[in-house]
Amino acid sequence: MRSPVFFVVALVVGAVVFAASRYVENEYFFFAGYVVLQFIVLATAWNILGGYCGYVNFGSAAFFALGAYATVTIHKLYPMPIPVLMLVGGVVSGIVGFATGYLTLRLRGAFFAIATLALAVVLQTLIINWDFVGGARGAYVIRPNSFPLLGSYIQYLFGMMLLLTVISVAGARAIERSRLGYGFATIRDDELAAEASGVPTLRLKLIATTISGALMGMAGAPFPYYIGYVEPGTAFGLAYAVNSIAMPMIGGTTSWIGPVIGAILLGTVQQVATVTISSAVNLLIVGILLVDFVIIAPNGIVGLVRDRRIGSTTVEPTVFVLLYVLNLLPTIFLAKQGQAAQSIGLVFWAILFFVTYARGRMIGRVWLMVFPWIGAGLSLVPVTSETPVVSTVVLWSQGVAWLAIDPPTAVLIVSLVIQVIGMIYGAALERRTPAMTTP
Amino acid sequence: MDNRIAIEGVHAAYGSVRVIEDVTLNVESGETVVLLGTNGNGKSTLMKCIMGIVRPSAGSIFAEIDGVRHDLVGRTTEEIVDLGIALVPEGRRLFPKLSVEENLLLGAYRRSARKQIGKNLGFCFSMFPRLAERRRQLAGSMSGGEQQMLALARALMLAPRILLVDEPSVGLAPILVQRTIESIQELKERYQLTVLMAEQNFSQAIRIADRGYVIVHGKIAFEGRSADELNNNDLIRKFYLGM
Amino acid sequence: MNFPVELFINSMIAGLLLGGFYAAVTSGISISFGILDIVNIAHPAFIILGSYIAYILNTRFGFDPVLVSIVMLPVFYWLGAAVYQVYYLSFEQRGQEALRGLAFFFGLLFVTEVGLILVFGVDYRYVQAPYIGPSIRLAGFDLPLRMLVPFLLSLLLFAVLQLILTRSFIGRAIMAVSQDPLALRLMAADPIRIKRAAFGLSIATAALAGALLIVIQPVEPSVGREYIGRVFAICVLGGLGSLPGTLIAAMLLGVVESLTSTFYGPSWAPAVAFGLLLLTLAFRPSGILGR
Ligand SMILES: Nc1ncnc2c1ncn2[C@@H]1O[C@H](COP(=O)(O)OP(=O)(O)OP(=O)(O)O)[C@@H](O)[C@H]1O
Ligand SMILES: [Mg+2]
Repeated sequence: MRSPVFFVVALVVGAVVFAASRYVENEYFFFAGYVVLQFIVLATAWNILGGYCGYVNFGSAAFFALGAYATVTIHKLYPMPIPVLMLVGGVVSGIVGFATGYLTLRLRGAFFAIATLALAVVLQTLIINWDFVGGARGAYVIRPNSFPLLGSYIQYLFGMMLLLTVISVAGARAIERSRLGYGFATIRDDELAAEASGVPTLRLKLIATTISGALMGMAGAPFPYYIGYVEPGTAFGLAYAVNSIAMPMIGGTTSWIGPVIGAILLGTVQQVATVTISSAVNLLIVGILLVDFVIIAPNGIVGLVRDRRIGSTTVEPTVFVLLYVLNLLPTIFLAKQGQAAQSIGLVFWAILFFVTYARGRMIGRVWLMVFPWIGAGLSLVPVTSETPVVSTVVLWSQGVAWLAIDPPTAVLIVSLVIQVIGMIYGAALERRTPAMTTP
Repeated sequence: MDNRIAIEGVHAAYGSVRVIEDVTLNVESGETVVLLGTNGNGKSTLMKCIMGIVRPSAGSIFAEIDGVRHDLVGRTTEEIVDLGIALVPEGRRLFPKLSVEENLLLGAYRRSARKQIGKNLGFCFSMFPRLAERRRQLAGSMSGGEQQMLALARALMLAPRILLVDEPSVGLAPILVQRTIESIQELKERYQLTVLMAEQNFSQAIRIADRGYVIVHGKIAFEGRSADELNNNDLIRKFYLGM
Repeated sequence: MNFPVELFINSMIAGLLLGGFYAAVTSGISISFGILDIVNIAHPAFIILGSYIAYILNTRFGFDPVLVSIVMLPVFYWLGAAVYQVYYLSFEQRGQEALRGLAFFFGLLFVTEVGLILVFGVDYRYVQAPYIGPSIRLAGFDLPLRMLVPFLLSLLLFAVLQLILTRSFIGRAIMAVSQDPLALRLMAADPIRIKRAAFGLSIATAALAGALLIVIQPVEPSVGREYIGRVFAICVLGGLGSLPGTLIAAMLLGVVESLTSTFYGPSWAPAVAFGLLLLTLAFRPSGILGR
């Protein structure tokens, strides 16, 4: 499909989604939908630089927050309509993106990644010390209750974010298929070779950082109106940095559809999950999925579907042990959080099942995968799932079985012991020592 | 005791490009054998096959070290070096950001070389006084001739039994080529090494060679059983002496 | 106006002591990033892990935090070696370290931090030891032992690392491995083994750095993130791969940060490191003592 055609189609899809959403009675849908859309924009923006050019940006939160704080500033001076705010946020973040790129992109790629980490902290410190936008205390941005024609204001915000989503996804797809996109791909594959054959690598990279930064700023611009109260901690929240990396990585980085899939999946799960589980467990889930996917499915879900093949290193003893221990963690934490949370835990039991199967097949002991089955089963039975003793016994018996059958992964036992002891200690300490709240 | 290399029927390729075809070659204990060939004929590739850097697709490579026979095919480079075979690689491959002395000490990483480290270092410095003067200088900032000396000295620090040298003359002025070739001869005598040397510079190489092979397009085109035989060979006259 | 000389000197001393500690925190990164070229942004997470282990054993059994960390050195070494093995097999071997390898470390950083939050909460934790509290007076200035002990231990750590790297065979191989792995194989050393050992060493330093951290200040899981910028700033400023450079840069940053928080207020201190990092990257990427 040619890019203009795709844009029109995307616009129509967006309009249909919006029209359909008008029949939704529940306001919560718009609040949740807005966040998912915002993550689609962030993931798409991240992927333009990360997926297409191969440069990692850890500072998504900074670009997002810049857009948000541009809005706060303007709101204090002279309130303006949302589309204008988005443009301003885009320009501000675009300029910062350009500047960061200009300072570091002539150096090795790692320096850019580190600089973006640094950028987030510098900007956050600046904002904390800038009283006009509320400093560390934060600022209130009063959202109007309604918007002419549409009714509630949140529907309006939702509509604007939907429009931005359509524009950024269509834009990313257009870039991917243009000369610019081919230029980006040459940088990703072999930057030195690209440079040697006359590709203007620095210019292309600057274009990518600018576009990517600008889109993140645009996604952040309506945020103050959405949330009503902005403080540095939320605007620079860790969730933005980790999600905007995890979503494209999980969806697949080489094409525009990857970030969209990743953002819809992870975004929806998180929106549903925040109702039932704590935000910390939520972030833990995203972090672990990120590690899982970069190892098991280097090309994300798109790659899994396309190649029908998983990363071959999954079966190596150390890799296997790491994956095993990591994926057990959320099942333990989720077990404490009630029945609804355990359905999310099933995802991790599935991954455990899967890596065990891969390893088991390699060593000719496929039946080893009964362990994750038992674990998943126990986690679903109300009586056993809430007794730490049972899960501990299960873990230990697994460890012993592994030792007998697969000595290279006997390390597992050590890990499990450390893990279990750590948990028990943690819980015990929590009760015994009064925690100090301020330094 | 005896140290020799026996290569038989070796084939090697990079992907689908065949580079070495049915090469049979041997180096007897205490000999200096020269492998002659112009650019791109497969000299370095053959060296890499011996060292386990390139895996031959067919054929056998055996080395006898101190009278013990070892099959080299399928061993890692580290294992082969550890047996007592050292390579002075093409392009020298020094550690440019380490000092001369650090480069030399790295040469003695091998466990059996660590015992003789003092003696070997002393010998290297007496043989190449230049290196002693420059021991604190970074290897990357030395001249081409000094770098070649360092590369040779570093290989010696390994306390090898068999020394492979890949084109020591590359990028050196004629006078330096002569000196480098002479020092190889001197090292060989001093340490009773068995030497296989790849070279393009026929007239220099022949000065220290006992025998030699000419490799053309990955095949042994001629085997000279003595320096004289090499000198009088048509192929060599054609390729090297322009006659 | 009168320049507050005494305040200035006190602040300088505090900065130097702090800088010494920063050096210990950075030493691991100096090895993994500076020498091996592995962008281990998860390093601070290992440091915080070290802090929490020291904390647990200190509150539970009353063990000295530094002693605990020394006992933990081999465990952390082993942990680091295992992490490198995974990193090598899954990313380095396939040339995917730039994107996925970085994301992997980011994920580890994140999982460790959130995991600690889940187990211990976000409250600040602290340890007890005889040297926390008292100070000694020297030439009219107070030297709190809480800072002086970590400072001296950091210097010791640096001396030991410098000795290992320059005087031992494995140390020299570590210095060489990223320059030319094939040449190293021609010296009979396996580059993967060398890198694994070096990475293990770098994570082992995190055990000690973590204990020193919790001696100096109360710790909560996200404290580590403040150190990401600091350690990379110091590492780059000092010159990649140069331990003496790292030490100088760490002292420099400690002093500048201390002066900033004395004269402008502590809320500005975090920006100093990052600002310095951005400036270094922009104007002198090879650092002070870069080779
Ligand atoms: N890594 C490689 N991948 C593909 N082809 C290679 C590789 N290395 C060498 N070749 C090819 O193999 C052939 C032989 O190369 P080799 O380096 O062995 O030649 P040589 O005799 O050492 O030449 P020179 O005197 O220039 O060093 C050449 O045609 C070269 O292009
Ligand atoms: Mg060659």
